[in-house]
Amino acid sequence: MAALREAEFAALQSLLKVSGVRAGGNGAPGPRLSALRFALRQAPSRDAVRQLCQECFSSPPAALGPLAQRACPGLAAGPVEAEQLVSALHNLTRHVVYRGLTRAEDILSLFPENFHQNLKNLLTKIILENISAWRNEAQASQISLPRLVDMDWRVDIKTSSDSIIRMAVPTCLLQLKIQEDAALCGNNPVVSALTVELSKETLDTMLEGLGRIRDQLSAVANK
Amino acid sequence: RVPSQQFSALTEVLFRFLTEPKEVERFLTQLSDFATMNKISLGPLKNIVKSVLLVPNGALKRNLSSEQVRADFIALGLSEEKASYFAEQWKVNSPTLTRLAVGQTLMINQLIDMEWKFGVTAGSSELEKVGSIFLQLKLVIKKGSQLENVYVELTLPQFYSFLHEMERVKTSLESFS
Repeated sequence: MAALREAEFAALQSLLKVSGVRAGGNGAPGPRLSALRFALRQAPSRDAVRQLCQECFSSPPAALGPLAQRACPGLAAGPVEAEQLVSALHNLTRHVVYRGLTRAEDILSLFPENFHQNLKNLLTKIILENISAWRNEAQASQISLPRLVDMDWRVDIKTSSDSIIRMAVPTCLLQLKIQEDAALCGNNPVVSALTVELSKETLDTMLEGLGRIRDQLSAVANK
Repeated sequence: RVPSQQFSALTEVLFRFLTEPKEVERFLTQLSDFATMNKISLGPLKNIVKSVLLVPNGALKRNLSSEQVRADFIALGLSEEKASYFAEQWKVNSPTLTRLAVGQTLMINQLIDMEWKFGVTAGSSELEKVGSIFLQLKLVIKKGSQLENVYVELTLPQFYSFLHEMERVKTSLESFS
């Protein structure tokens, strides 16, 4: 599957305006590029490109529109151009992370032949710098059941109740902090606390189950 | 007034009910059988049984010794012989009865059951190849009279930490038993 469509690679080249990369790579520059060369007198900044790449990767598809609008002034691009660029960057970065590409050659080979050489190198460099952070980000925001965030316990001794006036029964209170699926909550993850009471018998049964899990895990790990 | 032999039979019926409080049907059947066999009318028998049952329940609450139970029965007007017999039965059955009473004690969000599964995440929409292990627990919790299922996912390090903590809880509970 091709990483990006041809039009998207074309859109990426509008980064030339911002990146300070000098135009004049291989091949005859298309009409787009020659128009862009005049714009190179804009404030050049590799950091701006870096920043933009990061924002485009992290943004969910729905938020790309507003991101493009915010990026317009910095890019000295019209809204349509900015949107195409932002979308292309998003797709490119996500594709690299999806495929798990880690070598420069692999990333470079994604670009078409006539893509601006220096810009290609710059983008590849930026992607390589960020790839492992991006991978972790993808794994952290993966869909899952509610996740355990924290766990606390205390042991109480029950000394009396309405059914029996004097006793000394130890019991365990376990508090689990559970966070709902990150994808559903966006930036405000809902964390709920669940307090559960376990008798000694229940705890023993639970430990038996957990021990079995541990044994199976080590069996899997040793294969 | 009930003759001794029948009294011991009645006591047996009573204690069987006390140790298995859910068997109400059986208890009532046995009571009416007893009434028919001994030519006693059921109504008065039930009343007697009700007042008799109050004694072990009160004894349980207050952790009475069998001596005290015997004394209570004598105070109620039972013959020494019968009271002693009942107190003996009480001594034999009290561990079971105590256990039942403790079991009835209030528990908040009691954990009833735990099911688990673990596996490997092969891929996702963001990452073609993942290869990470996940562990999912389903906790069945009693909230009031209803059962509620809670699903939680743990990473491997979290699992080991959880196991470690639960072992510490076990040590703590054992030191207090």
